[in-house]
Amino acid sequence: MSSILRSISCGLRNGLVKNSGVFSFARRFKSEEIPEEETRPTVRKFDNVQRSNLTDFGKYVAECLPKYVQKVQLTAGDELEVLIAPDGVVPVLQFLKDHHQAQFENLVDIAGMDVPSRPYRFEIIYNLLSLRYNSRIRVKTYTDELTPIDSCNDVYKAANWYEREIWDMYGVFFANHPDLRRILTDYGFEGHPQRRDFPLSGYVELRYDDEKKRVVCEPLELAQEFRKFDLEAPWEQFPNFRHANPATEEIETGNKEEK
Amino acid sequence: MAAREPAKRIIQQVRPILSVDREEARQRVINLYKAWHRTAPFIVEKFDIPKSVPQVRQKLKEEFIKNKDVSDVRVIDMLVIKGQMELKEITKIWKQKGHIMRYWQESIEYKPNDFLSKFMSGHN
Amino acid sequence: MLRAPMFRALVLAQLPSRAGILFTTSRMQSNAPAKAPEKIEVFIDDQPVMVAPGTTVLQAAAQVGVEIPRFCYHERLAVAGNCRMCLVEVEKSPKPVAACAMPVMKGWRIKTNSDMTRKAREGVMEFLLSNHPLDCPICDQGGECDLQDQAMAFGSDRSRFTDINHAGKRAVEDKDIGPLVKTIMTRCIHCTRCIRFASEVAGVDDLGTTGRGNEMQVGMYVEKLFLTELSGNVIDLCPVGALTNKPYSFVARPWEIRKVDSIDVLDALGSNIVVSTRTGEVLRILPRENEDINEEWLSDKSRFACDGLKRQRLITPMLRKPDGEFEAVEWESALITAAQAIRNAPKDKIAAVAGSLVDAEQLVAVKDLLNRLGSELLCTEQKFPTADGTSGTDLRSNYLLNSSIASCEDADLVLLVGTNPRYEAPLLNTRLRKGYVHKEQDIAYIGPEVDLSYRYEYLGNRSLTIEDIAKGKHPFAQRLKQAKRPLIIVGANALARNDGKAYIAALQSFARQLKPEDKNWKVWNVLQTNASQVAALDVGYKPGVEEVLAAQPKVLFLLGADGNAVNKENIPKDCFVIYQGHHGDQGAQLAHAILPGAAYTEKQGTYVNTEGRAQQTLVAVSPPGMAREDWKIIRALSEVVGTVLPYDTLDELRNRMEDIAPHLVRYGHLEENNFYAQAEQLIKTQASSFQGDVDVNQKSLEDFFMTDSITRASPTMAKCVAAVKKAQATG
Repeated sequence: MSSILRSISCGLRNGLVKNSGVFSFARRFKSEEIPEEETRPTVRKFDNVQRSNLTDFGKYVAECLPKYVQKVQLTAGDELEVLIAPDGVVPVLQFLKDHHQAQFENLVDIAGMDVPSRPYRFEIIYNLLSLRYNSRIRVKTYTDELTPIDSCNDVYKAANWYEREIWDMYGVFFANHPDLRRILTDYGFEGHPQRRDFPLSGYVELRYDDEKKRVVCEPLELAQEFRKFDLEAPWEQFPNFRHANPATEEIETGNKEEK
Repeated sequence: MAAREPAKRIIQQVRPILSVDREEARQRVINLYKAWHRTAPFIVEKFDIPKSVPQVRQKLKEEFIKNKDVSDVRVIDMLVIKGQMELKEITKIWKQKGHIMRYWQESIEYKPNDFLSKFMSGHN
Repeated sequence: MLRAPMFRALVLAQLPSRAGILFTTSRMQSNAPAKAPEKIEVFIDDQPVMVAPGTTVLQAAAQVGVEIPRFCYHERLAVAGNCRMCLVEVEKSPKPVAACAMPVMKGWRIKTNSDMTRKAREGVMEFLLSNHPLDCPICDQGGECDLQDQAMAFGSDRSRFTDINHAGKRAVEDKDIGPLVKTIMTRCIHCTRCIRFASEVAGVDDLGTTGRGNEMQVGMYVEKLFLTELSGNVIDLCPVGALTNKPYSFVARPWEIRKVDSIDVLDALGSNIVVSTRTGEVLRILPRENEDINEEWLSDKSRFACDGLKRQRLITPMLRKPDGEFEAVEWESALITAAQAIRNAPKDKIAAVAGSLVDAEQLVAVKDLLNRLGSELLCTEQKFPTADGTSGTDLRSNYLLNSSIASCEDADLVLLVGTNPRYEAPLLNTRLRKGYVHKEQDIAYIGPEVDLSYRYEYLGNRSLTIEDIAKGKHPFAQRLKQAKRPLIIVGANALARNDGKAYIAALQSFARQLKPEDKNWKVWNVLQTNASQVAALDVGYKPGVEEVLAAQPKVLFLLGADGNAVNKENIPKDCFVIYQGHHGDQGAQLAHAILPGAAYTEKQGTYVNTEGRAQQTLVAVSPPGMAREDWKIIRALSEVVGTVLPYDTLDELRNRMEDIAPHLVRYGHLEENNFYAQAEQLIKTQASSFQGDVDVNQKSLEDFFMTDSITRASPTMAKCVAAVKKAQATG
């Protein structure tokens, strides 16, 4: 890990990042354009200073790690997301943890997401917190059922159980994990329940068999109709009321041609 | 261009899980099988299941044979990993008797396949 | 309840002549379609759109996909313009205008989302809500209420309503208008849709308003029932919870029910319906829009008879014990007993009679089974005249409503013979009434005097009149000959009489003589009354049970045949009767073996309606108890008998159906008919004479409700009959 860090700091010293000397994450008031103040009463208002800081830091991360960072975006107005290649999990997290201007020392959570229609159906999402700068960042990468992802257990000890959970729920294999095994499901459980193609009711049901004096496992038979609610919002028919803030805004990073 | 397409697909690099070629994967499967095979008497003894060692080994063989047509190295690796995890769950006695007996699926009544018995039982 | 206003408005805006949105324009277009009026340009929220002159602001907005909220406006009813919800701003106009009633002018710039528009809507909504009770949690309309939805979308987010004097909101006494529609009149917002529906579509001028201002009330003025066969439609029309479904009250919420598209089989029109179910139970039936059949209406029988699907059901196979009692048995023994009887019978002594609710799948399966066993004795319960025993039903044009249901409203002169469309096919009657009201259609009628909800020329009930018309002696014959689009509609029940041959021979050849303006206009029409009849005749069942009974069958299949055509007296004593159906009705009483089948909401079945359009029902709930889908019973029986039918799945069976009659699986498609001349020839060969006067089975509303095994089992239908009888006795 230290070698990775060394290589990054090397890159910094070699002037890979042009304005690294003057850049400071804590520096305020550097946004080029100040967007119009939100006046609509029912729409959430954002702190524009915070937004511009996040934007700048996103650009900085992209410039520091051009090999791995594919896209930087702001979600829900003021949440910074860094989308990276699967190979870059360890270096990017190491960078974010150890870089003096970031210090995301805390791995809050690792989440999985399954979108079966994509070529790489799983997204792995790392939520980081920097107590030093009171800031959060989200790192996202992608994989499929068979491509292993490097475990970041060496970077964050907290990742151990989170990665076990992802393995258990989605079946994503984490290479170099010290103790990868199931964490939530029962021994002998087959399948990964958070995959979208896994039915909500599951495939099997368990019951105590009085004859055999033990719990037996049988294919599922629903005694009662599966209840599905029709929750379509009826006023969706009025399109004027659908306009809201965009879900994500991409941040221009300058290393577009790398993709 | 069209001629190059299949070639490209063949040399497409995927990140290996454990094994780099089929031979290595095969070796891993055999190792796993051997490990399980050696565990059979342990299973019968420790879990007090109403099966004999040959029956356990027969079941073990069946479970391996189920995946005999898998050819993708990475899928084989994934199955080996899961098999190893399962073996560990047994040797550490994390599993219980009921979990072991699940392999035999004795309580499952299989659904009929022909039209008439499906009709009689009401399964469509 | 009216969930898709935008789509509907778009469709209607493109087809104004079919929908009759504006009576003036539709009449104008039907009379002089040649000259297309010049279109004018208007701007909706700065989008330019070209519309025909006379288009209202609301319709123009719908053409570009802008939805304007409304309560009183409805595409199929006259414009009232009294709810004011559709107010929009028009540039350079000092006041907002009511979009539903205001025709657009050239170059208008309409703003549907400007501050003025939104403020106007908010104001209207505030007024409506200040006199609307806050009882949404106990209101049956909750979740599908236009007022709720639009208050969410267009209302203010805070209230100025403070009742500091505790004077209470406006409250109105509820009215008892019958066993089907529940009224909570305090919730009424006076949109008058129900009033307009009653007087325009249903043709009963019962509903109206009394009082004015805050004292205004919708009601009957006197206490009486809302007696019409279409009363349920006001429930759908009501934008709030003032008129709700009485049998369905406090039963379910719209978000917890599942909706399955299906087809109604209680009359021969095949109205499109949506079956709402929850946990394996049919809760209610709503109409589904189909411009070619039921528009968006549904008759009360089709809507409210669904509680009959839960009662009197056959849920296990049964065998008759030697002492005459029925005993519930397993499928295995029922099938073995039935198969034994079939195997022991001589092969040409096995017969089948199809009832009125049978789907085409079952008809084909039974026919295949009997044909494979070597029998040709298959018939429908209802008779239809045939020339020499077979040929009358060989050509479809003989027994179909040839000029589709939708084009019935375009006719200019209609002759109804021996049919009461108001009760035999209420939605065909609304078409005729629409033609009568909006298109100057004239209607004449032969039969006992009945109320058809519109004025008709009564030609008496003497069959002599038919003969006179057919021979051209009657003055009405001349009018038919001069008519541009004449229509002769004969009831299936009239043709089912013993002298039905005389009806068909006389009227069909007369219909051939008529020379309508349009060569493709079809004069000869039969209005069927049974949902299964057309499909049965299409696949080759013979109409009428005489031939089958004459053959002295040893095994008789009754496929839901409850119409009393086969009864204790006319079946042979040693005949083994197998009843297959869903209700324990008249037919089941005769049976030796009962095989419980599925009702129309429980199977995927094909039905062909009276105009020859194949449509399918879908599975909404599973059949109760041990009941099975009907064609599967036949398929299982065939295996036990030893003559296995070659289909295991519905798809395989449908392939077989396609081989027999391709139109059976072309769902929703109306097959063209031809061979009219040959059809006439077939029928003409045999002369016969009339016996007695022309009659119809359903003369008044009380005859309408209970016509088949499902409706006879329905408590709601029984309540309707009782209410109608009581109303007739007192008033």
